[in-house]
Amino acid sequence: MMVGLSHYLVVSSALFSLGILGILTRRNAVNVLMGVELVLNSANLNLVAFSRFGSGNLQGQLFAVFVIVIAAAEVAVALAIVLTLYRLRRTPNLDETDILRG
Amino acid sequence: MPDVVASMKRFEPELILTGALLLVVVADATGARWRDVASRILTIGGLALALVRSVELRGGSAQVFGGMAVIDPLASFFEALLIGASLLVVLAFTFRNSRELHGLGQGEFYSLMLAVTLSNILLATANDLAMLYLALEMVSITSYVMVAYMKGDRMSNEASLKYILFGAVSTGAMLYGLSFLYGLTGTTSLPAIREFLAAGVTDSNRFAIYAIALLVFAGFGFKTATVPFHFWCPDVYQGAPTPVTAFLSVAPKAAGFAIMMRFFYTGLAVPRTGPWDLAGTIDWVRVLMVVSVLTMTVGNVAALTQTNMKRLLAYSSIAHAGYIMMGVVALSQNGARALMIYLLAYLFMNLGAFLVVTLVHLHDGTFDLRDYPGLYRRSPLLTVAMAIFLLSLMGIPPLVGFMGKLYVFAAIIERGPAYFWFAAVGAVNAAIAAYYYARVLKTMVIDTAPVEKPPFRLAFPDAAWVWILLLGNVLPLVWWARIDGWARTSLSLYAGP
Repeated sequence: MMVGLSHYLVVSSALFSLGILGILTRRNAVNVLMGVELVLNSANLNLVAFSRFGSGNLQGQLFAVFVIVIAAAEVAVALAIVLTLYRLRRTPNLDETDILRG
Repeated sequence: MPDVVASMKRFEPELILTGALLLVVVADATGARWRDVASRILTIGGLALALVRSVELRGGSAQVFGGMAVIDPLASFFEALLIGASLLVVLAFTFRNSRELHGLGQGEFYSLMLAVTLSNILLATANDLAMLYLALEMVSITSYVMVAYMKGDRMSNEASLKYILFGAVSTGAMLYGLSFLYGLTGTTSLPAIREFLAAGVTDSNRFAIYAIALLVFAGFGFKTATVPFHFWCPDVYQGAPTPVTAFLSVAPKAAGFAIMMRFFYTGLAVPRTGPWDLAGTIDWVRVLMVVSVLTMTVGNVAALTQTNMKRLLAYSSIAHAGYIMMGVVALSQNGARALMIYLLAYLFMNLGAFLVVTLVHLHDGTFDLRDYPGLYRRSPLLTVAMAIFLLSLMGIPPLVGFMGKLYVFAAIIERGPAYFWFAAVGAVNAAIAAYYYARVLKTMVIDTAPVEKPPFRLAFPDAAWVWILLLGNVLPLVWWARIDGWARTSLSLYAGP
């Protein structure tokens, strides 16, 4: 069987859906961040697959490299915030961080 | 290589900001006693120099760095606006007059400030999907850190966590949309995408592009705090240190609108004088119109019952995003000009309102509207200034807020009878907004406090900056022809090589 563009797109949409599912259902902030990673990587998979099978240029692969860097930076900042919040509240759970509301 | 060298020349303000950023980091790392003063002076100097160079370099329209960014008159306008916004925030809000920032390290704050300014400009000049995403994330990630600046404060950290999670999901959805846009058109350059679409789209592709536009809008909606991506806004504005809130409510929002306009105007529309054509008959205008109506209604209605001033101003800023979006919806030269004028006016009125809130917090330690009664007798200057800022936000002539509203409504009505209902919704919303702004005024002027607190005097620099922002709401009307001319000559968007 030849692996073609549609196979990649199916995998990436599955990743995207799983990521969104994780973000919406998980209580633990670290798990939610893992969902975010899945979403970003689904887009990366798309970009690389389109670059290889679709457009024939390298713009997509270049884009994907930058996205990987951004994802790392974003998670670094997010984990730092989760840690400071953990020091103050002793919980990583999102439903217990609720002093801001109204 | 020659392209990079030529691009560097046009990128001077950005290079100055980068240099200032590095110097601030180095100055802060020395650990010397003068480092706080040095980082402040370096920041103000760098921003002022960048502003001067940006105004001097104005004119012309060219791609830089192989089409990743574009320096056109529109970019120059936003460059000046965004640097000016940062400069005003740095000058008016200091570590002395903000009770929340008092005693925290200054070097990091100023380096973050310069980084956000730089990335704001990059966002406003982006001409390529990769650049657009990179700049948007750079603005977001640095703002997350700024929101969490009060390390020992639970509210500040919680606000930042909410901001990050919301931002990560929105920009993730946007990226997923961008990846499909690349797959469909085979390019990441905005003008090339427009050419692809203008050449004609099949029906199945049209459906795909609608879905893509919605996904991409998630990112813009998050940055500009429009419904349904506004949920972070009240919490973040309340939890963040007030100077950061003031900054977030003007600069990243302006950059978000700049890129929203650039994406939809250069990517999905064909320019012409008068109303523009839609590229490939993809009618995104209708979608944005619904978003705009929802944004102003949700913002204004939710603001009615708020008692925390920062939250109230957060909902008010959501509502204003709805009005500003009317400029994008108009899809014409006048719409673009209205958007620019509105953002300029919004800068002075919103920063002013937040400065007053900060100063009241400095003296009374409260953000609660229920602690505002009797303020008129305690500090007449602050009350009168707040009245001017709120009347300007309301859109009362002869203040700049009125000019902003005048331009957006004119741009909408000009599009013909099909848009009249939209203008009517905007007008009803302006009336709702007048109610809660007037409620703040009434509390300050008419209501009496159960226990009268002693009057207070503002320190000299604070009083001076209140005056400057106050005059910024009135004086522009004296030179209105020049400001209007500035916006008018900034209208040309880079349309392709």
